[in-house]
This record gives sequence, C-alpha cells and structure tokens, in this order.
Amino acid sequence: MTFEHCIRCTICVENCPVFRVQPDFPGPKQAGPDAQRFRIGREKSIDDWVLLCSQCKRCEMACPCGVEPAQIILRVQQRYGLEHPHTPAHLLFANNYYLSALGSMTAPLANRMAASNIGKKILGQMGIATYIPFPKFSFQTLSREKKNRNRGERKVAFFYGCFINFYRPDIGRKIIRMLQSFHINVVLPPQVCCGLPALGNGNLALARTFARKNVASLSNYIDAGYDIVYTCTSCGLCLLQDYQGILEIPEAKKIAENCYDLHEYLLKLIAEREIHPVFREVNRTLAYHIPCHLRALKIGYPAADLMKRIPDLDFTILDDACCGLSGSYGFKKTNEAAALQLGERAVSLVRKTGAAAIISDCGSCRMQMGGLSGMDAFDPAEILCESLGIRDKK
Amino acid sequence: MSVIEYDVIVIGAGTAGLTATAWLAEQKLRVALVTAGEPTACLSTGCIDVCSRDDQPLAGIAGLPDGHPFHRVSPEMLGQSLDDFRQMMADMDMPYKGALEKNRRVLSAIGTFKNTCLVPATMEASPQSDDERIHLITFTGLKDFYPGYILSRFPNASFSSYDAGVSTTMGIAANFEDSAFLETFLLWLERQKIREDKIAFPAVLGLESAFSVLKQIESRLERPVFEIPTLPPSMPGRRLFNAMKDHLRRRGGVIYWNWPVVGVERSGRQIEAVTTEAQGRPNSLNARAFILSTGSFVGGGLYAKRDRIVEKVFDLPVFAPENRDDWFDQDYFSMNHGIGQAGIAVDDAFCPTDSPWNNIFVCGSILARTETLKNGCGHGFAIATGRAAARSCLERLK
Repeated sequence: MTFEHCIRCTICVENCPVFRVQPDFPGPKQAGPDAQRFRIGREKSIDDWVLLCSQCKRCEMACPCGVEPAQIILRVQQRYGLEHPHTPAHLLFANNYYLSALGSMTAPLANRMAASNIGKKILGQMGIATYIPFPKFSFQTLSREKKNRNRGERKVAFFYGCFINFYRPDIGRKIIRMLQSFHINVVLPPQVCCGLPALGNGNLALARTFARKNVASLSNYIDAGYDIVYTCTSCGLCLLQDYQGILEIPEAKKIAENCYDLHEYLLKLIAEREIHPVFREVNRTLAYHIPCHLRALKIGYPAADLMKRIPDLDFTILDDACCGLSGSYGFKKTNEAAALQLGERAVSLVRKTGAAAIISDCGSCRMQMGGLSGMDAFDPAEILCESLGIRDKK
Repeated sequence: MSVIEYDVIVIGAGTAGLTATAWLAEQKLRVALVTAGEPTACLSTGCIDVCSRDDQPLAGIAGLPDGHPFHRVSPEMLGQSLDDFRQMMADMDMPYKGALEKNRRVLSAIGTFKNTCLVPATMEASPQSDDERIHLITFTGLKDFYPGYILSRFPNASFSSYDAGVSTTMGIAANFEDSAFLETFLLWLERQKIREDKIAFPAVLGLESAFSVLKQIESRLERPVFEIPTLPPSMPGRRLFNAMKDHLRRRGGVIYWNWPVVGVERSGRQIEAVTTEAQGRPNSLNARAFILSTGSFVGGGLYAKRDRIVEKVFDLPVFAPENRDDWFDQDYFSMNHGIGQAGIAVDDAFCPTDSPWNNIFVCGSILARTETLKNGCGHGFAIATGRAAARSCLERLK
C-alpha cells in the first residue's frame, strides 16, 4: 500500500516506542507517509531523523489501513545512507557479520578487550554505547559443528543466524539435538548474515550481497527437499519480507514459501501427526517478552502455543513493549538514552508479572532485558528442551 | 498453508470484538481474534456512550426507531455486560464511574459538554455546568489542546502552562509514568497558588498508571482533578483498548495482529475458514462459527463504491438507504446523513438476514441502522451487542 492510503489517524504514532521517548523523532506518521509527499523530487535527502527509526515495525502491525510506515522509512534510510557518509558505528554494525567472525576467531582476547575499560573507551569514541555488556564471542561457533546425519525422512536446513552462531552456539546445538530426537535430518547449510544489520545501518548493497549468497545456498537445499527452519525472528523477517521486498532478490518467494520459524515448524509437524513430543513438567514462572519482529512475521506466537502444552509451566505474554535495543540500534550512542528508557519500561512490565525469568525468541531482546534486569533470559527453545530432557553435550 | 483450528473466530478488535472474544474465552471456548490493525476505539475518548441522545440511556434506547439493533438486546443483558465491563476495568486498575440510570457530562477540549454513560475515573470530577470554578493546566507546545476554547465558555476558569520538555500527548504521558518527573511537576503545581475548586488536565496523565497519577495530584493539591479527552493520540482510548486486550488474553483468548482476512472457505451453508495473508504461506483459520465486528466505514468493515456499499470480509448483503440521494444531507454537520444507517441487518440471534451462511454472527457499529453519531450509541452499544452476539453464538454451538 502506498502512503496515500494513510488517513492520519495516528494509531501508528501511539504504537511507536521511539516516539514515546525520543523528542527528535517525529513519529512514523510524519516520518513515513506524511514526509513521503515531499520526497518525490531529486533533491538530496536532509531528513536525518529517519535514522532514529528502529525498524521495530510496530506501526505496520497497528495500521488499520495497510499503510507500511516502517517500510517507507526503511527505503528512505537506504537513500539517506547512499547520499551521506556513514558514521563508524553504522559501518561497524552493518559489517557485524565479519566483525563477529573475527571476534569469534580471537574470542578470548576479543571478549577481554570488549569488557575492559580501555575497550569501552574506544567503543565510546566510535559512538557505541556500552550500558549493557557486549555479548561474549564463542570460539566454537555453530558453523564449525561436525556433520551428524540422522536418517529421518523429514529434512531440515537450519538457518541459525549470527547471534546463535557467534554468541550462543550452545542453544543452536540444543535445537539440533531436539530436532534429531524427532528423527529429523538436520543440516547446517552454508550461510552468512541474513543482511538485516546492513539494512538497518543504511547499507543496501551489502545487505543485497548477503541475501544473494544465502538465497543461492538455501535454494539448493529446497530443491533437494529440505525445509528451511530459522530461530531468530529478525533473520526470519528479513528472509521472508525484505528479500522479496526492498532487496528484490529473484527466487526470494521460493525461500519465503519454504521457511519456517522453529516453533511454527514443530506445531505443523505435531498437527500433521508426524511427531509426538511428550512434554514433562517445567516448574517455572516466566514472562514471555514477544519480540517486535515475531509480531511482524504474522505467524502468531507459536512458541507460546507449544509452551502451553508443558505441564506446570506458568508464563505471561507481554507484547506491548519494545525492549529498545532493536539489534544494533540501542548500541549507538545517539540512541542510548531512548534504548535505556524503553528497556527499563519493558523490564518494569516483566517485574509486574512476578516472573522469575524472561523468555524471548530474539537474542538481542534477551541481551537487553537480561542485561538491564539482571534476570535470566532464555530462548523458548531452551524451555522446550528442558521439558523434553534435551541437554547440550557439555 | 498453515491451518489453525478454533471454535470461534472473531474478526475485528474494537470494543465489540474484544468483548465477544473475552466472554467466549471465559466460557472455555477456543477462540481467537483476528484484526487488520488496531481499532478506532484507540482514537476514542474512552467514555462509554450507551445512548447519549437522552439524559437517561434506557429511555433513549426505548425511543430509538423500530429496527434499531439495540432493541434486540434485553435490558438485563445490557446491565450485565456493563457491570462486567466495570468489574474488568476495576481489576485492571482503571476504574469507570457512572450508572445506567442516568447519563453524565464530560467537558470536551473545546469547552462543550459531551453526554455519556460511563467515564474513566480520571474524568469523574468533570464539571456538570459551565459556572464551575476550574483551573486548567496545559503544556508548553502541546498543539492539540488550547485552553482558550474552554476559557471562552467558562467565566470562572483560568489556566497555567507547564514545560514538560516534550510537546506531544504521548511524550508527556510517558513522562508522567516517571516518578521523578511527577514530583518536579507537583512542586511546580503547588507554587501556582491555584484558587479554583477543581484542576483540569488534557488527558496526558500517564499511560498505564493514569488513575494513580491523578490520585497523587489530588492528594497533594487537596481538591478534585480531572482529565479532558484530547484529539488522537488519545490516551484514554489507548488505555481502554490495552486493558480490554490484556483482559482477553488473561482469559485465554488469542489475538492475531495485522491479519487482514483475504479469503473465505465455504461449504454448503457454512463458512469453514477464513484465510489471511502472511509473508510466506497464507494462514487458514478454521472455526465452527465466526463473529463479525469489523466496524463501519472508518473502522474498515464497510466500503462504499459508487453504486453500492460492500461488507469487506464475507460480502454479506448490506442495508443502505435505497435512494442514493438519501445517503447524504445537504448540511455537512447534520446528524441525518442516511449513510449512517448502512450496515448488516440481523435477526434476534444477531445472524445476518438474507445471508446464505448460518454460522456468522454480527455485532458492533457494523450493524444496520445503528447511526452511532446521531443516537450516541458508542462503546456501550458495542459492548452490549458484542456480548449478545457471543451468547447467541455459544447457544448455536451447543
């Protein structure tokens, strides 16, 4: 839908987390459909405030008229990125994949540097916020995992994403083991960053390079009868939405049709009576912080549907608050105050529920919520594994 | 295609749809709410208009023309649904005041009075006549609230202005959630030496905690404080929507956001499923019954073409004044635009008449002859018909 369908009702503004706390951002209505009327000419873009949009997509979920303010803003962000020099922070986070690969290779040193005072000072100089600790690089990344074939008929190519690969490969290994316990054949296809960090930092060309590589690789697996399963909701959104949309990747439709969220996939197999998991009691009280990008995927909350089957598990769904970190958004000095304020609000909502720990599908949500609250933050898959008795090897 | 099975699917997340879904979930049905976006309820004043055309809502309803859908709701059902609504909002820490016996007045942002039945407790102290002594607080740069409108109609009113650092209703409301901001503000307010009997604010006293913020101001300034509803973004409307949504979820109902229904699967006289778009595969929501609460034109349930009006989900037959010339009155601000009657005509069970399908139920402002503006049948009408349609749906499923 185009900006002309906007009836200016301001429901998107009410849903914008950034607008709530960042007075410099005029809100999705003004930054999106309203300003779009003036962007038709060939003049160089001067609306630097579009960079303040965190691309949480809450405006799109709320719009009753099908206007996509975040999509309009995303395109303007790319145009701004093309026409203006990038700050060091934008450059670094766009290339997060290469950076993380380097970090993992030198994990013990890199982790120590990032946590040291000098390291923090250097990061601060580059415009990077350090109010929550950087995630720790993992030396043994998931991509190095040895092939472990299982002879099931159901074949899954696992798109694990950078967060699990570089920082929490243990979660990835648990997920693989869980799928294998259902006699599913799991492979790790060659893959790079999904491209979302590059898009979020105004680097369309780089995002497209990543996307092309992934599509070429995943497409082969689909042809060979594999279903693609992702677990990071932001990777998922990029694969499903941006590859077809702004990145205009041929074959992206095929990827979208064959891509499943992990929990969505398990539900599908249960509904088709292909797998029959037996969930055992998990005695926990949890707050389920719904990542903005899970909402945007429009698949409902499949992990919640699965967890409802776990005896004794008590969890509350919270989907009104954005955690504020939004990938690399909150790590930029310019966004630090807004990210902190939003994060603290999200944490206060969690505290109100009386939960002992947080669950969230998104690694960066967990980083923010766990970092600010000091509470444990789990991936829903970890809770499923706990219920199914699946442990990491170590 | 991803297939999901439910007992009932409710389409539309306004007050009617939210009420119907929550009630069915309480009856232990598997129920889901599907919505294209957030409802116009978010833009409302948060006041519950039952029938504002008369000082007494019940007398107002009795005086509605024959064929008005309100006649299909029994007074007991109306009373029960509003009692339950008040209980729910009290549980969510957003109490409502008022009674079905008599309407009350709420001061509007242009200094006029609006007739309504139930009001958020933050508007309870709203003046009932224009000679009351009130002091208005406004905020520097807040462009959607001009005290001048009210001052021109209230001879005993004055105002002061506070710089909250931000100039939007959302931004100021977010600030009031912060106790340090509230304390600084209270110190400033005490220095204003306000002499009037009541203190008025535009409705920006917080998002979730408005009621407790208001109570704190009242106890410090030792006099009644009330909110005046603003233009959208309207905090009281947002609070109402958020509370009803959380309540629904606590009862076990499921909400699917931004799932515009794009297709319908039929079999015989039954609707079997509705399909919605998704990024990859479409979703198919199967159910035994469907409740339509998609609202009127602004809500998106109805769409006017040049020659006829269509209902967008099931393409149900739409009632509208037969003669195209009767759709609009010459006076723009008239309450007598015939188009206000457009909607779905239903029988006593809230099933559409002349429809080929027998498992659809309809409620809220999409009902034919409602004339929301003219009759003042707002959220109260939506809550009552939502409940009535849900009950009728449950009886059919038994």
